[in-house]
This record gives sequence, C-alpha cells and structure tokens, in this order.
Amino acid sequence: MSLRLNVNGEDRFSAAEPLTPLVDVLRDEFHLTGAKIVCREGFCGACTVLLDGRSVMSCLVPVGLAADSEVRTVESLATDGVLSPLQLAMEQHDAVQCGMCFPGMLMSLTSFLERMPNPSRDDIKAALAGNICRCTGYERIVDAALSVVRAA
Amino acid sequence: MSEPSTATMDFPRRDARDKLQGRTRYIVDQGRPGMLHAVQLRAEVPSARILRIDTSVARKMPGVRAIVTAEDSPARHGIGIADHPLFATGCIRYDGEPIAAVAAETLAQAKAAAAAIVVELEPLPAVITMADALAPDAPLVHPDWRDYEVLLEGGAHAGNVAWEATVVRGDTDAVFARDDVEIVDSRFRIGRQNHLSFEPRAVVASYEDGRFHIETSTQVPWTVRNVTARLVGVPASHVRVTVPAVGGGFGLKFDCSLEPFAALLARAAGRPVKLVNSREEEMLTCLSRENAEIRIRSAVTREGEIVGREAVVLMDCGAYGGEQIFLTTMTAHTLGGNYRLGSVKISTRAIYTNTAPNGAFRACNGVYNTFALERHTDEICAAIGMDPLEFRRRNVLGDKDLGATGQVFEGDVLRPMLDRMAELREAKTSKKHLAGERLYGRATTVGTWFIFVGPSAATVNLNPDGSATLVTSGVEIGSGSMMQSLPQIVASTLGLRPQDVVVRTADTDAGGFDVGVGGGRTTVSLGAASLAAAVEVRKKLLHVASDMLEASAEDLVLENGRVEILGVKGSGTTIEKVAERAQRVTGPISGSGAFTGPGVAAMPGCAAGHFIDAIDIPVFAVHDCEVAVDPETGHVEVLSYTVVQDVGRALNPRAIYGQIQGGVVQGLGYALHEEISIGANGRICQAGLETYRVPLAQDVVPVEISLYEGAPSIGPLGTKGAGEVPILNVAAAIACAVSNATGRRVQEIPLTPPRVLELLLGNNQPLDFPHIADAWRDNAIAAGV
Repeated sequence: MSLRLNVNGEDRFSAAEPLTPLVDVLRDEFHLTGAKIVCREGFCGACTVLLDGRSVMSCLVPVGLAADSEVRTVESLATDGVLSPLQLAMEQHDAVQCGMCFPGMLMSLTSFLERMPNPSRDDIKAALAGNICRCTGYERIVDAALSVVRAA
Repeated sequence: MSEPSTATMDFPRRDARDKLQGRTRYIVDQGRPGMLHAVQLRAEVPSARILRIDTSVARKMPGVRAIVTAEDSPARHGIGIADHPLFATGCIRYDGEPIAAVAAETLAQAKAAAAAIVVELEPLPAVITMADALAPDAPLVHPDWRDYEVLLEGGAHAGNVAWEATVVRGDTDAVFARDDVEIVDSRFRIGRQNHLSFEPRAVVASYEDGRFHIETSTQVPWTVRNVTARLVGVPASHVRVTVPAVGGGFGLKFDCSLEPFAALLARAAGRPVKLVNSREEEMLTCLSRENAEIRIRSAVTREGEIVGREAVVLMDCGAYGGEQIFLTTMTAHTLGGNYRLGSVKISTRAIYTNTAPNGAFRACNGVYNTFALERHTDEICAAIGMDPLEFRRRNVLGDKDLGATGQVFEGDVLRPMLDRMAELREAKTSKKHLAGERLYGRATTVGTWFIFVGPSAATVNLNPDGSATLVTSGVEIGSGSMMQSLPQIVASTLGLRPQDVVVRTADTDAGGFDVGVGGGRTTVSLGAASLAAAVEVRKKLLHVASDMLEASAEDLVLENGRVEILGVKGSGTTIEKVAERAQRVTGPISGSGAFTGPGVAAMPGCAAGHFIDAIDIPVFAVHDCEVAVDPETGHVEVLSYTVVQDVGRALNPRAIYGQIQGGVVQGLGYALHEEISIGANGRICQAGLETYRVPLAQDVVPVEISLYEGAPSIGPLGTKGAGEVPILNVAAAIACAVSNATGRRVQEIPLTPPRVLELLLGNNQPLDFPHIADAWRDNAIAAGV
C-alpha cells in the first residue's frame, strides 16, 4: 500500500507505515532534510511544515493523516533560486546563527503572515510561541518579519 | 600590515542563504552508501558492580553488524586525570553510562539488539549530591583514584574530590580579626544548565585504508582526533576528523563524545556508522553546566575597601572529572575577579557524584561565580551602607591593580565602562512605569571573563584567479566567526574583498593543530594565525609585484583587488595578474601562520592546581536590567536590559550585537527558567522540553548594546572574542534586581515563579552547607596553606 502526498507541488508516494511521523518520511524518503528533528515532541517547532496551508509540527503528524494533502516545506519557499521576501529579510538582518531552527521559524511565519498580513511586534512574538531558537534571542527574527510587513 | 579600518564592516555571512533554504547538511542530515545506524545501551542505575555482560543473543539478531563493549576499549581519558573509560568498566558510575554500542542495518534493529544484551548488576551505594559525596565515610565514586594516570601535576585530589585548585595571596586570618572591618558571609546554590544545542551530538564514522574518518558535529576537531585515537588504541595520525556546519555548540561539543563509539563500530563492521543522540539522551547525559555551591566571606572596611576575602566553591563534576577539573582554575579569575582584594584565599573543588558528567557551557564557571560575587557585593553594600554603583566604581580592577593570583592588570577598563553604563541609564527613560502594581527592581553588575587563547595554525593560499583560500581547523558553530571575522582579517591584509576569501571547513588532514572553537578564541587565536599567514602571503605578493611594477615593495599598497603604487591610483595591476605571474616565476604563493597565548605571569606561589595561573586577555562586561516581580505569581518579567561589553575592537559590530542578544537570552533562561533537578535515583528529572523550559520569543526584550572599544588586547587588530561573554553577568544582574525588587536575599537560581514566591513569603530555607567547613583551611587538601 502506498500513500500519496502532494509535497511542494509535486505528487509523491510513500510506502511508510501510516503511523510513521511525517517528518521521517520527508527526511528519509524524500530527502527533504530542511525540516529538523530536534525534540520529536512538538515543543521546539523546528520540524514545522504547512499541511493544507496550516502550520503543523511534522513530528506529531502520522503520515497517514497527511495522505492526499498538500505539504509545503522550507525547500519550497524560494522559487527559481529567488528567496521569498521573508527569507531575504532574514538574510539582510543577519538573523541566522546555527540555522537549525530557521526552517521551522520560516514556515510558522510564512503561514502566520498569510493569515495576518499586518501584525504588530507582539503579534509576531506570539506567533513564534511554538518555535524555539537557542542562538539568536529572537529579536532579530522579529525585526526581519516586521520589515516584510512594513514593505508590503 | 592589515588596516583595522579596512577589516571593519557588517559583512554578511555566506552560510545564511543555504540555512534559510533548508539546504545545509548538518551531520544529522547526512548519509553514506551502506551506512549503518547505531545506538548505545546505557545504564539505568547510578551505581552498581557489573557482574556479566552477554551480547551473544544480540549479535544474532536481524541486521546486527557489530557490537562493542569495554573489552574493545580498555584505555581511559580525561583532563588532568585519566579517570574516564569509554564504556562502564567493572562498575556503573552514573545513570545513562554507556555499557555497549550496537550497529545495525536500521535504527530499529540496533535498538532491538541493544535491548537483548544481558547485563547483570549488583547494586552499590550511590552519592547523588555533593553533600553526600563529602560526608564522612561517603562511598567513593572512584575507589581506585590513586591508580589513575595524572595528566597535569599540581592539583590536589583525594577520594571524591576529583581536583582542587587553591589561591592564597596575603594573610586573610589577620584581616578578618581586625576590629575595624565588617564581615559579610554569603552562601549560594546554583543548578545545572543544559545547552540544548538544536543539533544533538552526532557523528558518521568510517574506517578506510587503515585510518578512521570521523565526520562529526564538534567544536574541537583535534581533541576528537586525539581522544578517539587514545580510546580506540591507534596513533593519532590514524584518525582524520572533518566537520560540516554545526547546529549549535555552546560548549557541549567542546569535548570528544560519541566519536570513539562510532569509530569502533565502523572498524568492526567495515561499514560507515552513524550515531546520533536522541533528545532524551541529550537531556539526561548532556555535559551540562555544573551545579555549584558557594560560600564567600569578605572583610570590608566602613569606607568600602575589601581587605580580605575567603571563598569555597564546590563544582559537581558528576561521575568523571572532565571539564570541571580544568574549570576549577576559573574561579580565581571570575569569583576572584572584578575587584581589588587586599588578601584572598579561594578553594575550588570538583566533586565526584554518581550523576551524569558535566562539561563546558558558554562562560563556564563564570556565570554562577559572577552571580555569587555580585550578589555578595550587594550584601556588602547593604552591610556598610554604601551605594552599590559607588562601591563598584571605587573597587573595580584598574590599571596596575593585582588580580587574585597576583597578575597585574593593564589599563582602566571596568571603571569607564561603569561610567558609560551610568550615562546610558541617565539617557534612557526608566521602564518602571511598565511594572504597574508589581514590585520593581533594578541592578547594575560587573563581570570578568577571559579569552581561552592557546595554539592555532592557519595557511593562506593565494590562487591565480586572485582569490585566497584560508585553511584552518576552525569550525562554524553558528557564531559566524569563521564566516565573518576571519575572511575579513585575511581580505583586509591582502587588499581583497572578504567574499573572495574561501574558508576551508575543518579537516585535521588539511589544517594544523587547533584548540577548538570556544572560549571566545576564534577571532583571537585563529584570527591571529590567519593574519600571520596572510602577512606572509602579502610579503611574497609584494615582492613579485615590485618586480612587475618596477617599484619598491614599501611603495606599494594592496586595495580593491589591486596593487597600486602609493599615491598614484591606477598605476598598478590586479592581484590576479600578480598571482598568475608568481605562479610562473616563483611557484604558487602561500603563507602559514601560527599563534599561541604568550602566558601572562601570576605572582609566584599564589596559585596551586591551576591550568592557567593568570589570564592573557581579560574581557569585561557591565550589565544593567530592570525587572518587575508579580507578588501573586512570583513571575519575573524583564523590562529592560542593557549591556556595555569590552570587545577590544569590533570587526563586525552587527555580528557582535547578534551574539550579545543571543547570549543575554541564554543567560535569562539560566537566571529565570531553566531548571535541572536530580532524583534520588541519580537521574535528571527533565527528560525533554516539556519540563525543561527555555526562553521563548515572548520572554525576551531587545538588548540595548554599547560596545566598549580600545581596551588593551594582544588579539589581531586589537580584537577580543565577543561571543562567549554576553551570558556572563545575566544571572547576576537579574538576581540583584530581583533582590532589590523584593527586599529578599536571593541565594539560588533559577528564579522560577515557585522559588520567587518562596522568597516573597519567607518560606525558603536559608542555605546551610554542612559539607563546607567553617574554617577556610579545612576546605583545602593542599596542606600548609
């Protein structure tokens, strides 16, 4: 039996057991290693992907529940080598340090900014409540997100 | 020489784009054809005798390719004392200690086989706390301690005292007996802190053509090379270590850890082996910042002169000495730092317990000693009735003042930094109004840290296309030093753009020896070696150019990728053309550089058992914060946070701001949120992020930052490391501010809501350490002190 998922706009098929965490299928079968496994318990947010447009922790989603859904990962944000405005803002603000949390941060913020196009600084911080960063102390990530809002 | 003005810029980091696209391949993302997956079988008791280990059933399980145990690695390693075998040998000393390692075709098969290994144990008594370990007749964690190889002479050790470093300068007994002094006696207790680097410790090892290739997530490629060789039993030259992007270190990866296990399995199986710690393993066996217990007594005159100080610092090293043995050294420079002392005695002891070993963590030892010292300082101020800022202004170390070990400090740095902080406090409106009905407190604290200099090597190749390649054993752990300051230094020396300097990732087969990336040393030590290598390239380049341009080398300048005759723009040629010509005439141009700490002198006889008697490059920090304490819940909110940091010279100010913001927030976690407790069974209670609470976006504020430049430094272009020190006095500033807000003595961190409520309600027990003797000398093995 195989499961169909639409991953980053392309139909993919997985032979994994339905209870396999989505993050393992993305990383091990599809070699999309952007989403990171940090806690496997849904606390850190580093494995955040969009499932039918909603941000989810892919460590907590059994792949069976993602069948026939659209999955977007960090690998989809840049198109033809052009960074998304959010990615570009992170680069320009020198926000990145070790980089492990950014795939999840970017997906949470991408989804959030699609839903709330004109957030305040506090709104952005609240949106990041499920994404831990151990390096940066957050403020620059918030600065970068806010700069995208202001430019829009 | 390199001009600081051309080296200074907000140069962006080249690794950001791939990291933002999820393309960076950390070790956890890597695979190789035919790669096996490995797990460790770990002990689940804190102390036991091993009666039997039987792997025969496990070896026949499906997919199993190799199993290794203590029989495969008889050697011991350590810092100062070789007390640490790779696998539990003869007995179990902590919950989580490796007993065996298994490699199989899949991770599930490896786990199943590990579970099938038979281990027969006989329970032994355990010492879980330092009080247990120092109790009369306490069971010894290492009954055979006398037989261990001593790797550094001079440290006293006996029984459960793994190492002791003492400082004795002057006669404290005499000054404590004076009748014109106030004696202030303080006690502090601090818990452990987990690094929570997002990438766990992880390694892929293979064995090819008689040599090991270890690709690993580490800060110290050369330590991994040397320790793996010792534990695997091969010459160090038979181990090659390479390091891709590292997903966070913070000191966790400043030691060899998983690499020898993977190496043994790879050799046994003849296949590449990947070993990655689970988050639970990282939480339970992380080389945490150690818990500590501190007593500090001072004799101070009514005029605010510290005439004598005595301190005892107990550091829990866990079951093996590790980094704590080295870190006993640091108390002299942290708790013994900041202030002029008339006389001083310090005993710092690393104590064995049957708990997971601790390790290095950003500003190791410094953060809790600075907390203790600054809270003690405020208690002194309260006792003699002096304003805490005025007391600090009068007493901080300045030019020609003596440190605890008698080293002579150079330059007035802390005092003008305090003045600058005072100006910043004046200039900004206080955030007191944000406290509302809550209790409000503010504090300014000072801290002394250092750069862990030590040997580094670099090679710079000038390529015929006009680019340069920098080869070192440096690692990019996230701080950006390898991506920013190092290419900036090389480029400015050669008149290139930093983006034209290729930075080779660490490979011990290519780069020379290096102590590692940590201790604030990357820009300083690797930077100095890189600068020296670039200077040699520059000299050779100018020699060839001088022939080409028929001008003396002294009249040539390198800028914008060109060699110009001084004062005649456009008169010269491109560096590319010079490099091309050099290749034909002299052969390709390259240069090598080396650096090590010069070694500053201490006063003879003051320090015993120290790895560093005096610090080559001191680094100072002044922090100020405002807090609001909710009397109903005990919640502490940080209202403002300001840092004045001594950076020597800021080569990339924007990158330093990023380090300060991140370091302060890690310190806020230590001060307020992150608590590790150890159960009576010797196991760490916080197995994951549900119970180990780190700062989130809503817990933090933007840090106001002022970089203090111009303090003396032997670093290249006058630099000091800027990434480690930002965490140093955060716990101190928060604890002093909470004390001021609540009017209570803060003796313990983290200041979690329950602990703050206890303080407010007066329910907290005053700290009493029966295992710290009342008379200072009874806390030192070193006789005759």
